[in-house]
Amino acid sequence: MDFEKVIGLEVHCELKTNTKMFSAAGVTFGKDANTMVNEVDIAMLGTLPVVNKKAVEFAIRVCHALHMEIDELLCFDRKNYFYSDLPKGFQITQNRRPLGRNGYLEIEINHEKIKIDIEQLHLEEDTAKQLHYDDYSLIDYNRAGIPLIEIVTSPHIHSGAQAAAYLEKLRQILLYTDVSDAKLEEGSMRCDVNISIRPVGVEQLGTRTEIKNLNSISNVEKAIEVEAKRQEEILLSKKSIVQETRRFDELTQKTILMRDKGDYIDYRYYPEPNILPIRLSPQWILDIKKQLPIMPDDREEIYIKKHGLLKQDAINLVKRKNLSDFYEETIQLCQEYRKVCHWILGDVQAYLNKNNLTLEQTSITPLYLSQLISYVDDGVVSSKQAKVIFELMMEEHKSPEEIIEEKAMKQISDEKILTEIIQDILNNNNQSILDYANGKNKAVGYLVGLVMKKTNGQANPIITNQILLQLLKERTQ
Amino acid sequence: MIQYSIEELHQLYALEDYDFQAYTDELFKEIEFQQKRLNAFVTITKQNMITHKNNSLLDGIPYALKDNFHTKNIKTTASSHMLENYISIYDAHVFTCLSQNGACLVGKTSMDEFGMGSTNKTAITGPVCNPWDCSRIAGGSSGGSAAIVASGVVPFALGTDTGDSIRKPAGYCGAVGFKPTWGRVSRFGMIPYASSLDTVGALTRNVRDMTIVMEAISGHDKRDMTSSKKTVPHYLQNLNQDIRGLKIAVFHSISDTIKNKQIKDNFETVIQTLKSLGADVENVSFPNQLLENLLAVYTIIANTEATSHLACLDGIKYGLSQKASDIDEMMLKTRTQGFGKQVKTRLVLGYLASSYENQEKMFRKAQKVRRLIAEELQKVYEHYDIVLTPNSGNIAPKISDDYHNYSLIENHLCLANLTGTPSLTLPTGFVDGMPIAVNMTGRLFEEQTVFNVAYALENAFEYKNQFKREG
Repeated sequence: MDFEKVIGLEVHCELKTNTKMFSAAGVTFGKDANTMVNEVDIAMLGTLPVVNKKAVEFAIRVCHALHMEIDELLCFDRKNYFYSDLPKGFQITQNRRPLGRNGYLEIEINHEKIKIDIEQLHLEEDTAKQLHYDDYSLIDYNRAGIPLIEIVTSPHIHSGAQAAAYLEKLRQILLYTDVSDAKLEEGSMRCDVNISIRPVGVEQLGTRTEIKNLNSISNVEKAIEVEAKRQEEILLSKKSIVQETRRFDELTQKTILMRDKGDYIDYRYYPEPNILPIRLSPQWILDIKKQLPIMPDDREEIYIKKHGLLKQDAINLVKRKNLSDFYEETIQLCQEYRKVCHWILGDVQAYLNKNNLTLEQTSITPLYLSQLISYVDDGVVSSKQAKVIFELMMEEHKSPEEIIEEKAMKQISDEKILTEIIQDILNNNNQSILDYANGKNKAVGYLVGLVMKKTNGQANPIITNQILLQLLKERTQ
Repeated sequence: MIQYSIEELHQLYALEDYDFQAYTDELFKEIEFQQKRLNAFVTITKQNMITHKNNSLLDGIPYALKDNFHTKNIKTTASSHMLENYISIYDAHVFTCLSQNGACLVGKTSMDEFGMGSTNKTAITGPVCNPWDCSRIAGGSSGGSAAIVASGVVPFALGTDTGDSIRKPAGYCGAVGFKPTWGRVSRFGMIPYASSLDTVGALTRNVRDMTIVMEAISGHDKRDMTSSKKTVPHYLQNLNQDIRGLKIAVFHSISDTIKNKQIKDNFETVIQTLKSLGADVENVSFPNQLLENLLAVYTIIANTEATSHLACLDGIKYGLSQKASDIDEMMLKTRTQGFGKQVKTRLVLGYLASSYENQEKMFRKAQKVRRLIAEELQKVYEHYDIVLTPNSGNIAPKISDDYHNYSLIENHLCLANLTGTPSLTLPTGFVDGMPIAVNMTGRLFEEQTVFNVAYALENAFEYKNQFKREG
């Protein structure tokens, strides 16, 4: 029997606002435990939530990017449960009216475009972080109250590969909208998987399980495959699947039971009385949309259709927003789209990878790159020299012009000067002229080498070649 | 020791040779004495009365805070075993306001545990006595504040009012008690009972003092999103006892249920007095079905909200913490031992009313009825400026009495909490040596009208500035 997987994903993403969702405490990662905390975060009785407007703005950005309907009435609810990482004993979230509804994003798998429907996006607050030791646990409240958005897809995903592609794309959007670091391995983006299987052709959904604590996209993909396999084996042995929460164990590459649904919690959701519904200005929502950068899909299309880039190049370029932005700024200065793209995807990326750096950590600017490309085009420097200049540009905050000047790298293209130099060399290398006359073409290369040596490599190789050949002809006729 | 009003003290302080030390000594001697007699305080914060020369009428004025306002470095217990040794790490907004005005805190007053009660008998420090008869309750939950103001030691105290927790004890103790419009005063730093009903208010011995205190603590606070940005009027400056032409509604279905003849007569006298002052007083009908359900609606909403507000008390962060083998067990043990019977009863009720199976027919229904009540009251306020009711149908019960009075006459004051309206209780007489009172409630954010009517009425009676210190 063939089975079909039915998967829905819930992604939690921490927003990189300056302060927390409902308190004025700062949000800075990597600080000492419990130093980014105020009386609100540790749920001192009598403290009250104050909505962080920036967090709402960030969430709206993502809503726009995911083509969602945005609720102009912002409402919050209480989700009640006791847990040691939940300081207030309830979480402020959006249950009745999520900020965003009915969105989608597009993924491409094997050249086929698939639309993944997104049911809702809502705002909430993060819990504290627990550190468990052998016989005690510690709680770090720095994370408590950090703004979160939760993005929930419809159960319309049917493979691990689709789920992975969805997560890649979502991550890209979170980075493009500049709302989060979106790092799964560091927990600023978290993914829970709801998965069930059913025989192909059957309409009715099977019993689902939930997989939590997935710390990389590849683990999501693996977990889906092994969990589907596990469920399949259960069904084939005529047993039934239990609705439960599982986790993926990297070591054994299996999913393991965390808790079953006997631990059902009644969250007793009800409206948060300390935050009255807030009417969002439609103009503000629109302004946020206008200020959004162009999203990766649109960029890809522009790069291919308008700039004539190869599809794979376009895809690679939009993968990272900073590279794509760099490309866009550079082409404002120099319309050599393909050349700009090749520099960025080639030398720039190779340099960054080799030195484990980000673009922002280097000294290169769109202006410098555009100048470098023009210098090569105009024959001012050779493409070989350009690579040397490039390396220096990455390290020192200097323009190509300064570097060329400093290193005396400017090409000598003046025919008069080159003729003089070549004549001089020919005068001292009779043997080479004879060799040439005897058909030994190697002599030309040797002579070019001498010219380069004499000019510190500054001689324009093409012009040098032309003059040299002409003079050799003259002398051997 | 003489009982002073805020304005009198202010004038005394202005004297060049005023002996602050002598006043402080006398004040705390009296506080100690009254504490022995009434058991009104949880903590006495002894400090010298001084003025800061800041032009505020509250400069150097002694006052007490209900023990559910956070006061940095001072114990804040909410009269619960759960917080018996808890010392605040931050200040409530209203405490900051009063401190900035130069007012001097003398102590934190006893209350029903977490504000849940109307007798003050659930306080961990024991019942608070009524100054007029120590065998009787002061009422609750702001019982300590009411008793200490009514004993004439301090001119004012702050309380909180979720159902009637300022006004009921004010009436029993013969003080003026006021809860403002919901949103008029920031609740930041007030230990909540139920956020959508909670208000911060005050107890004084006259209406002028009330306007001074309310002016000082009202206004927007950016830490409480529900606090209004509306300008705070100059309540004292605008006090006007000319109430001619003002329309006052009497809900006869409430006042008709008074059984005590003297209280009934007193209420009639109040109506006649208001008429003689030029107000139009009329009997108004309010749907009985709504009135009968006030207490049910209140109980469901207040206790549902309370379940989340008190959920933070889990033994992990602060307050009582019981040792156990695992974290769930620890929470369970802490909460079982930390909360008193009344609190536990109400929490269980709140859980029940908001649970998945019951939420639709209990909590959500209560919210719907609450909206209906507000709409109905709105209709009344289209024609009337004030709603007048008796404060209670009885004098303060004996401490030894089991107090289970679920009648409309004893529970109608929560109407002002369910609708957010400003409401003031004013003493208007005595029955069997115990003070009795009436309540007047106005339109949202029209506290001035309430103050004006109370001011006019207060001046027509002889209960202004009354106090009872011994016996």
